[in-house]
Amino acid sequence: MKIFQIALGILAAIGGFVDIGDLVFNVSAGATFGYQLLWVIVVGVVGIIVYSEMCGRVATVSGKAVFDAVRERLGFRTGLAALVSAQVVNLMTLTAEIGGVAICLQLLSGLPYRWLIVIAGIVLAVIVWTTSFDWIERIFGYGGLCLLVFAVAAVKLHPAWGAVGHGFVPHVPTQSPLLYAYFAIGLLGAAMTPYEVYFYSSGAIEEQWGPKDLGLNKANAMIGYGLGGFLSFALMIVGGALFLGKGIEPEFLGSIALGAEVPLGQIGLLLALVGIVFAVGGAAIDTLFSGAYNLAQFLGWEWGRYRSNSGAPRFTVTWLVLLVLGLGLVMTGVDPVQLTEYAVIFSAVALPLTYIPILLVANDRSYMREYVNGRLANVLGLFYLVVIVIVALTAVPLLILTNAGQN
Amino acid sequence: MTKTLDLGLQLVDRQLLDSEDRRCGNVDDLALEGGPGERLEVVAILSGPGAWRRRAGLIGRFAAWIGGGRVVRIPWEEVANVSAHVKLRKRAEELGLGRGDDRLRPFIQKIPGAER
Repeated sequence: MKIFQIALGILAAIGGFVDIGDLVFNVSAGATFGYQLLWVIVVGVVGIIVYSEMCGRVATVSGKAVFDAVRERLGFRTGLAALVSAQVVNLMTLTAEIGGVAICLQLLSGLPYRWLIVIAGIVLAVIVWTTSFDWIERIFGYGGLCLLVFAVAAVKLHPAWGAVGHGFVPHVPTQSPLLYAYFAIGLLGAAMTPYEVYFYSSGAIEEQWGPKDLGLNKANAMIGYGLGGFLSFALMIVGGALFLGKGIEPEFLGSIALGAEVPLGQIGLLLALVGIVFAVGGAAIDTLFSGAYNLAQFLGWEWGRYRSNSGAPRFTVTWLVLLVLGLGLVMTGVDPVQLTEYAVIFSAVALPLTYIPILLVANDRSYMREYVNGRLANVLGLFYLVVIVIVALTAVPLLILTNAGQN
Repeated sequence: MTKTLDLGLQLVDRQLLDSEDRRCGNVDDLALEGGPGERLEVVAILSGPGAWRRRAGLIGRFAAWIGGGRVVRIPWEEVANVSAHVKLRKRAEELGLGRGDDRLRPFIQKIPGAER
């Protein structure tokens, strides 16, 4: 096994799975319901593994990334609707991630927030302009591994392990079931955010995988998102052990980092903040690229960081424009954490339009040949399609009914 | 090419690749020929924003207007093969495809590090 080639999976996990949305939803879910929602993470992780493996396989065998498949299967009209909704949610997420980076830099440096937004924007632009795809993956993926400090913190906080174990058993509580459902939907939405598959499938092409790399694809999806799930468990346990029943709603990124400081002191706080900067910075790049990938693939433009900046001009201009738009939106002073909550819920609505075409294309024997979906992939794929449709239909009503989880 | 193709599913909306595997647009529409009782034949692929007008009503017309409304007609003889992508026999420039990228390139090249 080429163990060192799982950087795509690590970045997909750290920058995609554990982004600002997961940090917020996991810790808040822990603070509100303790360990009761741990099982939802398992459902979400298996779902994202199933669909990432599928779209990675499609990209590897046929050279088609997600929005190629969307355009092909949904046609121009419905595909355009999928594109617009994906781009809106992507821009919201990008904005939230940039804001998240700036908040962490502020906690680390004490400089003014607005200055740090500009600095974060310039640093991101320079990194993407000058660095190869491989190195972007490594810098942000491996830098984000500092988040493992939350796993140590979770153990050090001595949670009631019996209650933790009970949290892995699916159940619905008698108290405030609506709020519980809102968090469950949010956790699923955060775990299966569409931009993860946009980035992952395009990443398979950036890495120039061929059919011989299908084992690598499977390993990347399983190890990467498995790690993401593990970190999510840790975050929720920390949230539960530290904040449950104390009336503390961890609505600042700083209070999430506090989860590592309480049991581990200054070094814990530092590692947590550095980890969050890399994870959220990686997510900013994921969403930035995803926006450019989607548009280019839908319109048939040349794309990819494996081309030079001038080798894919419209792709390059698209990510530059998206970055400027994102920076402008953060500058308006919108609260990144609140924006994240809305982005996660709205992305849940866009889920079916992303995942249905992947499932269809993965079953097309005319170009998937012997690599079409097996029975397991189809059974799981269909099961998650049902889950996704339920999530999509209930997301907005629950957002309104629970006042975005505030009641 | 003799194999059977489902035009709607296996041709329309696919990626165009030129002879050097450069991505240079999509199959946005097809030009068909043949009167009543005759064999219907695909004579050309149409690519470009102008072709969206007929595909998505008012929104399609709006998108075409934003995109500049150009349509490139690629004679069917220029198609090398149809698989996951539609592969062409000539380079994009020769067929009039990928012009948006070619026009932007000189501006990008002015920025240091553009070839990275």
